Amino acid sequence: MSGFGSVSEFAACDAAGQTWLTQFRKTVASAATTTGAWVDYSYFAGSPAANFYASSPYVAAEVEADKGIKLPSVSPATQHMRLLNVMTANTASTANSRQRLILCDYLLYYPFIDTDAVGEVQVMTNTVDDDAVPSIPRYTSGLVVAVGQSAASTTGIFTFTYTNQDGVGGRVSQASYTFVVAGGGQVAAASGTGASYNPFLPLQAGDSGVQSIESVTFTQAGGGLIALVIVKPLFHGYVTQECRTTSGVAFGAADEFQSIINHAGAPQIKDGAVLSFLGQGSQGSLASSQLVGVLQTVWN
Amino acid sequence: MGWTSQDDLINQLTTNGKGDVVTMTKTLNSAGTAGAWTLLSPHNGWPIASTFAGTDLTYVPTDDTWSQGTIYTGGDVSTATKHFLTAGGQVTAAAGAPWYIMAIDLVGYVPLTTTNVSTTGTKTVTMTAIGSSGSKGDRYPAGQGLRLFVASSVGAMGANAPTCIINYLDTAGGAGATTTFTSTASMGVGQLLNTGAAANKYNPFLPLAAGDTGVSDIVSLVWAGTAHASGSVIIGLCKPLWTLPLPATGLYSKMDLVNALPSLPQIKDGANIQFLLFQTGATTSAGTVNVDFHYGYGG
Repeated sequence: MSGFGSVSEFAACDAAGQTWLTQFRKTVASAATTTGAWVDYSYFAGSPAANFYASSPYVAAEVEADKGIKLPSVSPATQHMRLLNVMTANTASTANSRQRLILCDYLLYYPFIDTDAVGEVQVMTNTVDDDAVPSIPRYTSGLVVAVGQSAASTTGIFTFTYTNQDGVGGRVSQASYTFVVAGGGQVAAASGTGASYNPFLPLQAGDSGVQSIESVTFTQAGGGLIALVIVKPLFHGYVTQECRTTSGVAFGAADEFQSIINHAGAPQIKDGAVLSFLGQGSQGSLASSQLVGVLQTVWN
Repeated sequence: MGWTSQDDLINQLTTNGKGDVVTMTKTLNSAGTAGAWTLLSPHNGWPIASTFAGTDLTYVPTDDTWSQGTIYTGGDVSTATKHFLTAGGQVTAAAGAPWYIMAIDLVGYVPLTTTNVSTTGTKTVTMTAIGSSGSKGDRYPAGQGLRLFVASSVGAMGANAPTCIINYLDTAGGAGATTTFTSTASMGVGQLLNTGAAANKYNPFLPLAAGDTGVSDIVSLVWAGTAHASGSVIIGLCKPLWTLPLPATGLYSKMDLVNALPSLPQIKDGANIQFLLFQTGATTSAGTVNVDFHYGYGG
């Protein structure tokens, strides 16, 4: 049996060695980020190493395992988050680095989509087109993040077609806006007129997920490159205060989230998961700030 | 056994005196490495700095009578069990924040010096496998829950950054190997060579083979590539106990270990309690680290 039948089973994992504690440290690139917009921590340097979505343009690919937070594979048991503890530091400025975080399993991505190709249907390559191309791993569908792979100079508008959670192809997303970003790794999509920042792109009404993306069409140029990344959100958390010393005064806080106690259940992390965070700064730029944390899992 | 209720816990502490508080303070001998972890035991302070004596490539089991700087927690309490109740800590340093402090039970170590560090190849370890005898050396039966790290032991490492892998036996006696990591040149005393903020680093412990839940025997360490020019290291074998975040210099953090889940991490009879420090930036040399914890026992 996998999972946990009781609190005592959950607690007993530690003594049985059925636990893993890992720790991460990522540094946001020096390019300024937009207040309220999201960043993709997988793109930034540190431990684990940076993930630049560097593979063949338009071709579906999986993020390499070493770009995610390292966890063991435990099948036939199932692995669950026991606790997450996070802190952030911003030594480059006095801007506030408090932020919302979403822990995601990175599933599939489509790199180097040209936001200047107005009117051109940019066709993606999927496993149905080439059986050497991977299909979505671990889950039947996920949500889509538009990650900038370069700076972008202006506001673009695009839609994409996709196969939804039920395997129905030809679905058409709602229009999303790219916006001006100073560098790669910033989530470059919004709704409204381009200033309502969302981590995930809005889908056709009634859809809850995406299995694959078939094409992308820009109707207004955005002046940059993006990757569309299908992720599975696993956990929402936050950093309430950054850690730093200013004018001799030290302040900061750590934020810890314990499964069972702090929220219902314990999020499952599937074997082979490529884990990283999306972060949303709430005041000023996150440029050059550091996100550090401890993630502990248990399995049964 | 521990306690049967909150009332029992309070009674054992306040009526029967079955508990105490202990402290540790260390001054960092050298500047830290951003994104890396440091074993504090070889740094000066209280308890005394460890020198990791022993014969090269021979496993040295340690317990709460270790002469090189352990924290005494009242001795054996069996058939009762001893547990952490709270943990607190503080770092004062001009740079390096934020930090994590992790308490570990250092079950033992393998020292490697001179040519066992400055040459590549397989370095075979002599060790009697951890069993289930109930002795202090076997306090984690068959090595259940034990983790591995490699640390600079008594001085800074020399130049070069070889790759490294550790072969071990798992809790069932099956052969396993850690993920290969890339060392770092010139890391200071106590710093964990397998940690850092770069590719092929694993913080703070080396990943075990799929399905493994512990380590019963250290078989060998294999250096490859260009060997460190000099230095001495230990292979550390430990049980992680708790982790405490320290957000900024001078700020004291306190953690309640009674109401967490799972709660009350156990201090096994014979536990050699030591501490690892994670630093986001490079902690200033001569920075000070203070840790305290309360413990208690029932039965």
